[in-house]
Amino acid sequence: MSRRLVGCCLTVLLWSVAGGWQPRVQAQQDVTLGIFAYRPEPVIQERYAQLADYLSRESGLTVRLQVLNQDAMNRALSANQIDFFLTNPSHFLVIRSDRSLTGVLATVQREWQGQSTGSIGGVILVRAARDDIDGLSDIRGKSIATPGMFFLGGYQSPALELKDAGVDILRYNRMVHLGNHDRVIRAVQAGDVDVGFVRTGVFEELVLDNPALMTELKIINRQRLSGFPFVVSTRLYPEWPLVSLPHVESRVVRRIASALFALEPDHPAAIAASISGFSPPADYQSVEQLARTLRMSPYDQVPRVTWLDVLSQYRVWVITVVVLFVLLVISSFWLGRKKRQLAIEERRLRELIASWPQPMLMIRQGAFVDCNRAAVVLLGYNSEASLLGKGLPAFSPDKQPDGMLSLQKADASMRQVAAGQVVQSEWVFERSDGSEIWVDITLAPVYEQGQDAPSVLCSWYDITRRKHAEERQRLALRVFENAREAIFITDAHGVVVDINDAYSEITGREHKVAVGSLPPLPLDEGSAILIAARKHGVWSGEFASRHRKGHPTILSLTLSSVFDDHDELSHFVGVFTDITQLKETEKQLRTMAHYDALTGLPNRVLFSDRLQQSMAQARRQGYQLAVIYIDLDHFKPVNDAFGHDAGDGLLIELARRMRATLREEDTLARLGGDEFAAIIVNVSDGHTLNALLSRLLTTVSAAAWVAGHSVEVSASLGYTLYPQDCELDGDQLLRQADQAMYRAKRDGKNRYCKFSDSST
Amino acid sequence: MNRRHFLQLSVAAVSAIGVGGCSGTAPLRTGIHPWIGYEPLYLAEEFGWLSNSVHLLKGAAASDSMSGLLSGELDAAALTLDEALRVFSQGIPLRIVAVTNVSVGADMLVVKPSITSLGSLSGRAIGVELGGVSGVLLFAVLERAGLNTDQVSVIDLPVHRHPEAWQNGIIDASICYEPTATALMKAGGTRLFDSSQIPETIFDTLVVTEQAARRQPEAVRDLVYGHFRGLRHLVRSMHDAVYRVATRQGITPDAVHQSLATIMLPELSANQRYLAYHGRIEVVARRLTDVLIREGLMETRPVYDRLADPSFLPRSMS
Repeated sequence: MSRRLVGCCLTVLLWSVAGGWQPRVQAQQDVTLGIFAYRPEPVIQERYAQLADYLSRESGLTVRLQVLNQDAMNRALSANQIDFFLTNPSHFLVIRSDRSLTGVLATVQREWQGQSTGSIGGVILVRAARDDIDGLSDIRGKSIATPGMFFLGGYQSPALELKDAGVDILRYNRMVHLGNHDRVIRAVQAGDVDVGFVRTGVFEELVLDNPALMTELKIINRQRLSGFPFVVSTRLYPEWPLVSLPHVESRVVRRIASALFALEPDHPAAIAASISGFSPPADYQSVEQLARTLRMSPYDQVPRVTWLDVLSQYRVWVITVVVLFVLLVISSFWLGRKKRQLAIEERRLRELIASWPQPMLMIRQGAFVDCNRAAVVLLGYNSEASLLGKGLPAFSPDKQPDGMLSLQKADASMRQVAAGQVVQSEWVFERSDGSEIWVDITLAPVYEQGQDAPSVLCSWYDITRRKHAEERQRLALRVFENAREAIFITDAHGVVVDINDAYSEITGREHKVAVGSLPPLPLDEGSAILIAARKHGVWSGEFASRHRKGHPTILSLTLSSVFDDHDELSHFVGVFTDITQLKETEKQLRTMAHYDALTGLPNRVLFSDRLQQSMAQARRQGYQLAVIYIDLDHFKPVNDAFGHDAGDGLLIELARRMRATLREEDTLARLGGDEFAAIIVNVSDGHTLNALLSRLLTTVSAAAWVAGHSVEVSASLGYTLYPQDCELDGDQLLRQADQAMYRAKRDGKNRYCKFSDSST
Repeated sequence: MNRRHFLQLSVAAVSAIGVGGCSGTAPLRTGIHPWIGYEPLYLAEEFGWLSNSVHLLKGAAASDSMSGLLSGELDAAALTLDEALRVFSQGIPLRIVAVTNVSVGADMLVVKPSITSLGSLSGRAIGVELGGVSGVLLFAVLERAGLNTDQVSVIDLPVHRHPEAWQNGIIDASICYEPTATALMKAGGTRLFDSSQIPETIFDTLVVTEQAARRQPEAVRDLVYGHFRGLRHLVRSMHDAVYRVATRQGITPDAVHQSLATIMLPELSANQRYLAYHGRIEVVARRLTDVLIREGLMETRPVYDRLADPSFLPRSMS
């Protein structure tokens, strides 16, 4: 080392003195070649001494051989005391990872009995007597001797084969590290351990010294590889590398390398070292892979896995998981929002239903399970609790208006709903205060999940008012139809739109004829009536009309106008009756009151009336009138002799004759019995009057033929005139005439006599 | 037997029936024969990286795999592209699911020393296994030599019988591959032409029948995965793999090294490229189809939408 240092110093010195002059012949340099002692050091020293000599000779450098075990080699390397080294590939990998090396210069080619190989493997040895160990799997749990961890053939390659066979030696086996291969074989031989691991070639070398080994030991998992000179239990890897260290000058490296590659198999140095030479560096990837698989140094660190590694390795998974997670989060948010919305929606819906003005209920198995306020109010209760749990019949009278029992009707409806139908019917409820209420009930099935039978949605619609209105309407219709009075309805123009039966009966017009035509109205007034009815709201009156068949009728009509909501006239309603009969009766009654039933002459009442009128007229027009009192003479004997019928017939005959004698404007009345009175208007003079009176007497006294007999009677007449000096009334005037008539009677009958005050 | 035990048994029986009814009992029957390009599959099987859903049936030559596919005894096979096309044209629709290797010198023309140029092949007897990949090389050779098939004497002979015919003077030239090529060259032959001169033309592939691709996609995926797993060992742990290949093929590790030098083993990404729609495989397949039909080695043109199907390739080999 010191010589090398001196050499270096000299070089530096020369360099500085000569100012860059390069010496052509450099001083003899020392090069240290470290060789790993995989077998006992003397053995290695002996084998490789010649190689060192050869290299010294060929390179012109002094190559010093240093045989070292692994620890020593590591120390020497860290102290830079070695320039080149030769070691097993596993150890090389450890060294290479400790310091950056220029790499492998060459790979050893081993030679054995004429066969050369660049491959190395492991040999698994047990004593031949061990029958219990025949295959790799038998090694589980056995004690194993190895030269050390960083031996390729002596540890790592057998370990891999066992690992592949399912035997993790670090876990299942006791390991003994003995430092070199010879000790391993001795330990196995001695039975100290069950199994030994050595590299290829060692066994054959030892067998040379001790042939008994061949029979004492056996090889486990022996590989049959033609062309490979050694027994082997594992797959093969590249042989030992010869490595140069970075600090070595490249010139030196070149020289050594050329010497190495120049070594021929038959050279004594090669033969001594049992090698056939050196080949270009092999690919040690397989060894790296081996160490990696076993997690051995320098690959014993579990690779630090970064997130990026994971990402690149499991990109698809990571992305998938992330995407799924994001989707999950999004969908959770979405679901949460939906749920809130749903809750709000549900609350709103519930609120809506609860406050819905129309009663709604839910029925399950015949009983109310839910209801809204309107339902409670409709039935006249205070709280929902009054309704829930009870059924429809509980709030209904025993019988429904259609005659069915409430219980039966409810059951029938529920069955229909259960069959999937929507049922609608009318229902009467009995409210809490006992009043009845009509509803239009609708029952609809609601299919809920998890329920066999559908629930029933029930809604009520209060139709009580409608029902009452209908009742009234029906009543009105009945009135309209059955009234004895004719009723008609017209439009605003008076054209009939509807009539009742009585109308047809009274007018003789059928419904279809009447509708569309005008109703019976007074012919002369017509539209005036409509105008009056419109103006005053009603018009009533009587008028003559004519039945369709032609006979006249008298109708009493009341016409009312009907106004719509906007106070516009929309219709007229007319009610009329046929009062023809009534009028006839009235006329008869009137006749009976003023005329004598036998003779048809005015009676005393009408006479008085006419007398008043005539007196008034005479005063007004200034003419004279005469009142004549007529009494028949000898009438009673006729009556007695021939009966009342003959008397009556005589009276009728005489009345006719007298009436015919008088003028049209004069009045003849029968006052009773055989007494008559007459009013003679417009008496111009006494002469004319006397003539008339005479004619009367003549007329009466002429013979009359009654009841098969000719009868002759006479009359006594008394008369008076008007106006007179003092004012008189009708009765006084008649009395005057009566007094005059008595005088005539007294004077001998069948004569006339004028009233005079003196005569009284 | 108590009740509980009985129930357990019943469940076991039912599940066994259920599994039996599915694809569980029918592994993907895959034909394979010795060839350096197919070694990854052998390695995968050896190391147990091949799923139980794949069953390797080992034949002696490509013809075994082809007849197996045609007879329906195989669902998949390792074949060259032209072999696959021939099977296809005989009525078995196939899909190419992986390219195992591309020949860069593996197939070669070995000639007797008297033949010094391609032109001097005229009139000579050329031993060739027309039914295999060698035919493709023959036509490439003849095309390069400016000759047609009438101008040479084509002896259709299985490759493993070439050394014998060579010794007996039946053939002057042989289109062959390892290990026959080495044997012929030991017998004095020289290599005049090889597939490295027609790059990216001779492909070895894994093919599956259309039916299997549809019915057992998982098994097909397992097969392709097994190939790439084995391939990784072959490439990364070559120090181990060469001995195993040598052991299987009965040759030296050095010879394995030499064999490996004559092929390219495309990795996953290269496979993606080769198998792409209108990628190299489909382009070459069309060209090959033209040649094979022209030379009468194929009668009908296979009809397909997609011949190459990269969908069974593993996404990555971690």
